[in-house]
Amino acid sequence: HRVQGRNRSSGRVPTHCRLKQLLNIFSFLLTVNSDLEPEWLDDVQKNGELFYLELSEGEEEVALTQAHLAELPVANHVRFSDKEAEIIPNNKKHKDGRSSNPQNNGLSTQPTSILKSQTSQRTGLVQQQFKDVNVYVNPKRLRRNRFLEGNSLLETLLGIIYQPSWTKGMGSKGLKPNTEGRVLVHGLVPGSPAIKCGQILIGDVLVAVNDVDVTTENIERVLSCIPGPTQVKLTLETTSFADEEKTYTASNDKQSENVSNLVKLLWGEDTVELQMAIGNIPHIVMYLSLKLDSESPKEEQEILYQYPVAESSRKLRGLRGIFITLSDMLGNVTGGQIISSTVLFDVHLVHVGYWKEGENLLVIGLPAERLEYAFCQMDNFPRLDHLFSMFFQQLIHPAKLNYSASSSSHFYDISSSLFLNSLPAVRYLTLPKEIKAEISTILSDFEASDFGEMGYLIENHLPKEDLLDIALYCQIYCLLPLATEQKIGQLVIWREVFPQRQSSVSEGSFEAYREPKARYFLLIVGLKHYMLCVLLEAGGCASQAIGNPGPDCVYVDQAKATLFQMESLDNSIEERLAAPPTPCLSCADWFIPTVRDRLNSITSSPIFSRWQSISKATSPNSKSSLKNQKASPQKNFGISENVSESQMDNVLFGTSISPHSTPDSIRKLGRRESQGSGGSDGSGGSGSLFKKHPNPFYLGTLKNSLSEKDTEEMYNMMKLTSGSENTLFHYVSMEAVQGIFIAPTHKEVAQLSGSIHPQLIKNFHRCCLSIRSIFQQTMCGKERKLVSCTNTSVRKTSSGFGIVKEHGVLFQCEPENWTDQKKSPPTMTYWVVGRLFLEPVPQEFYVCFHDSVAEFPVELAFRLSFGVAV
Amino acid sequence: MMFQAGAVQLLCLTASSGVPLFCRGRGACRQLPFSVIGSLNGVHMFGSSQDAQLSSTVTEWGRVLWRVYHESITLIAVSSEEGASELYLERLLENVFSCMVLILGLDDLANIKNVERLKRDLRSCYKLIDSFLEVPNEDVGDLTHCADCLIPQEPTILQECLDGFSQAAESEFGCLLVDGKIVVATEKWWRLAPQEVVLLSFLVRSLGGSSSRDYPVFLPQGSPNVPHRLLCFQLLAGVDVCVLCGPTPSLQKVERELVCRFWSPLIDCLRICVRLKGRCFPGTVSIPQGILGLLLINRDNSRALCSIQGFQESAQSSASFSQERRRELLRQFYTLATTRYFLAEPQGEKHRALTEEFQFGFTHEPVQCYLVTDDCKCFGIQTPQYQCFVLTTDSVPTFALRSLATRTLTALTTQTAF
Repeated sequence: HRVQGRNRSSGRVPTHCRLKQLLNIFSFLLTVNSDLEPEWLDDVQKNGELFYLELSEGEEEVALTQAHLAELPVANHVRFSDKEAEIIPNNKKHKDGRSSNPQNNGLSTQPTSILKSQTSQRTGLVQQQFKDVNVYVNPKRLRRNRFLEGNSLLETLLGIIYQPSWTKGMGSKGLKPNTEGRVLVHGLVPGSPAIKCGQILIGDVLVAVNDVDVTTENIERVLSCIPGPTQVKLTLETTSFADEEKTYTASNDKQSENVSNLVKLLWGEDTVELQMAIGNIPHIVMYLSLKLDSESPKEEQEILYQYPVAESSRKLRGLRGIFITLSDMLGNVTGGQIISSTVLFDVHLVHVGYWKEGENLLVIGLPAERLEYAFCQMDNFPRLDHLFSMFFQQLIHPAKLNYSASSSSHFYDISSSLFLNSLPAVRYLTLPKEIKAEISTILSDFEASDFGEMGYLIENHLPKEDLLDIALYCQIYCLLPLATEQKIGQLVIWREVFPQRQSSVSEGSFEAYREPKARYFLLIVGLKHYMLCVLLEAGGCASQAIGNPGPDCVYVDQAKATLFQMESLDNSIEERLAAPPTPCLSCADWFIPTVRDRLNSITSSPIFSRWQSISKATSPNSKSSLKNQKASPQKNFGISENVSESQMDNVLFGTSISPHSTPDSIRKLGRRESQGSGGSDGSGGSGSLFKKHPNPFYLGTLKNSLSEKDTEEMYNMMKLTSGSENTLFHYVSMEAVQGIFIAPTHKEVAQLSGSIHPQLIKNFHRCCLSIRSIFQQTMCGKERKLVSCTNTSVRKTSSGFGIVKEHGVLFQCEPENWTDQKKSPPTMTYWVVGRLFLEPVPQEFYVCFHDSVAEFPVELAFRLSFGVAV
Repeated sequence: MMFQAGAVQLLCLTASSGVPLFCRGRGACRQLPFSVIGSLNGVHMFGSSQDAQLSSTVTEWGRVLWRVYHESITLIAVSSEEGASELYLERLLENVFSCMVLILGLDDLANIKNVERLKRDLRSCYKLIDSFLEVPNEDVGDLTHCADCLIPQEPTILQECLDGFSQAAESEFGCLLVDGKIVVATEKWWRLAPQEVVLLSFLVRSLGGSSSRDYPVFLPQGSPNVPHRLLCFQLLAGVDVCVLCGPTPSLQKVERELVCRFWSPLIDCLRICVRLKGRCFPGTVSIPQGILGLLLINRDNSRALCSIQGFQESAQSSASFSQERRRELLRQFYTLATTRYFLAEPQGEKHRALTEEFQFGFTHEPVQCYLVTDDCKCFGIQTPQYQCFVLTTDSVPTFALRSLATRTLTALTTQTAF
């Protein structure tokens, strides 16, 4: 029984074969606490690691209706060879209980075998033909997979199972005449190159390898001649059906559009297809050894690991000599570690990043994109393959992975990903205190650590370093976007981790990893939009872990229970996400005069009217306040431009009297207004505050938890900029100590649609990249100065700017498609400003606001941390 | 470590055979061992044999840049200076190659026949090349590729005099320089490529000390293969006038008959110019307080004005900011703003290819930027015609920077003909 590499290939199997049953089992498991084994149990790997992902019902149905025709056969290939016996009893078992659901049975199509005998009955048209299939093979990987020893190369290298004893039986059935000496495909090894290419069918005959004719006699010899990782052309004789072939390819396309590429990537399947898309862009990862064994010169011996093994990277691989030489030499010449090189390659500008560790060198080549350093142990090549394929896909083709998202938030994702992912922090969702407390209690009950929701970190009970490690893991595996976009049916990940904190204590020596004082295991359980990450400690004060333990059902179930408990909070969290942004944001497009022209001419201020419509849209759950607002906008619209400030205030004031505003708060507003000149601003801000939080619960929180003075401050903070128009466009606030950052939520950004705003956000993030790099230089420079103080021989240099505290850039934009030839297009200008605080705790703020803002309030806003303090 | 901090070394080799032609350096470094030079060149050659052109490499402390010119000369810059930006090193290599062309002509460099002879010939370039390597750089022209200028009190008188002098010397190309900064130049002189103007200014300054010179020059872009004569006369210490001309007239004739006749009446005017050396614009132009230095670039005609002296300022700020420091800060801020934000006019093919251009990623045009550090503040403005970079003390409030910079720009552009 051969089950190798199950962790990835198994993902699709449950989806397409067991589908509904599994979901039923799943709910069954949790509600009735049945004695059934959790479905992920089969997927636990030999070393105890697990990566199990399943989509939720809705997602799967869509995917399946279009794809089951084509996909099922392929999936069944896998099943057929090794697991057929298991599926069918499964089906039966659960159908017994749930036969009342006809849709259920209809979707979970019986594993229609794709054996030729069956399909030929359908079409009845059999033709013998030859086909060429290209597969990637890597003999080097083979040598390291110990448990594969003893099997034939055909099986281990290509993944084709050939059973000499079967040949006779098959031949007697008359399927293949004269099979003597022919290499008949009896089965395919899951996760192997043969099955990945999806074109080799059971029953095909392998005729030639790289145009060399093969028989059962010489096949092993021919395969053993493959020297290194390469592409191999297999020629197969097949019995195929013309029309079936067509439907296969057509529906396969559909399928690939449907199931998000992201999910595919996570399952580790079809990476070839994605790989092709970026195939012409040079990129590579190599792990090179600097210590060369000169006694036994062997080709490419210095490459310990590389990915991908494709045409595009071959040339870059050829350059490894440069990288090794440079890293070796420049350390001596200029001192310090080598960081990066730039190479002009064909037409692409390629940046190469280095990470030198001991005798080894990690080299990552990327087309003029950002450089990042990933860091890995060298124990599992397939896993690294997988990791890097994701890494590249993420960097080079973010759009491809995310296209299922709505256009504006999707755009936000792409533009922000480069910058935000590079922050050593996790997105943090500010939540009303009570919800936070509740979550915190639940987590404490579970003694858990770290809780993520929809790509936002909600509560964290972990030390910072651990948090960053986990976040990096999630990021590399694209888990958070996945949780955001699609409802996860079930996700279970289990693996041993080596937290940075730990390795720094043990000085990173490999000896220490083998016999550590305590071992750490990361368990990630995902359910719908929630993900629970748990870091478990074994050894130390807890009992010692022995061998490679798999995830314990108890833990997983407990985690799931916690997540279910979380669901009760779902509404309140949703509410928070749906609420208008605090502090409020404006859309850049509103500031372009043309927008104003297009609007009703009596509109006094486009921003206000826009704002009203937005808050109307987002507060549908409180009808009474909506009614109130409906009345007031008309008043607002009616204000002509020469209406004095105070009148304006009155209108706003009226608006803000929602049913929830208690007399107390009205009094407060009134008082503020009477404070004089500053009052108008204050009430303007608070007006919008009220509209934003139609939830009475929220106001109650405010009043109860804060003193009156605090409340007033809060009002100020909600709208940071002064003047009657809100001018804040976007912000990111990062705190390095806790390792978190705050930014507007996706929904908040999605509300502010427009043609210019997405561009603005893209520019904002790009600019932040630049600003942050300057801040980083500052920090490095500081450390360096400390070094040079001790090192007297270092000559005093005319070093750069010293400590940079603040950096800003003013952008100017014009509306697109300006058709009026006579007038020059109106322009809108906005600042992107970043500020670095070293005291009391290192914090970084990045804001984007309209140029019209008075300078002093900007200072004030920075002081107040933009009202987004954690 | 072979390099001390702050060192820059320049290696020149033949591209085909890798024979070292020369090696110049500055800062505390001994010459790199031959093996290192060989490896540095080797990796680049290996790369080009594999279709990959190695452009630059960054280490924690330094930076290496490779460039090949006309497939015959390889220049490698190795720097261990913290502030050495890629822009600086790239411009440095460009300038160095242009120096070689200016003095030897492109023919000799593109088709190397005798390596030993070329090595000998190249010695004559050392002085000019070293002037580009010098710390502190006297001007900003090497970085901006815009000619450093000095705005005199009475430009019209000087302009008329120079035009007359050039005409008498049978040339349309004439230029008056104070300490390597152009005071006035004929119209044709400004029509030379901006880089050539910068090179000639550097050349005149590096020749300084002799009262008159007749020097053959190849213009790297105008006439890389046919030499012209650069006639150079020192009027006062630090004040030179030069003309580019053909075979006639002779140096003696111009010196004897023309120099005195044209320039002796203006000697007082020239003395005033010398006094403006650090400030570079006349005292009649009033600019706001708090400014430590400014760099103004006219993008239309590629002229730069770098002023680091003669502002109204407190004794404390003038003590803590040396002229070198001010110039260095302005250079760095210029580098930051132009490489990250401000869009330049599209340049040649070569420029496009070898470095990443961060600013092209923006969909909206960055027009202003500022930087606040622990002891100073910088503000940069780009308009269609000008770029203005202002360095101020930290006592100037951040929100006032913008109006201060705008007022400075307006004052300089309206009150002078810059």
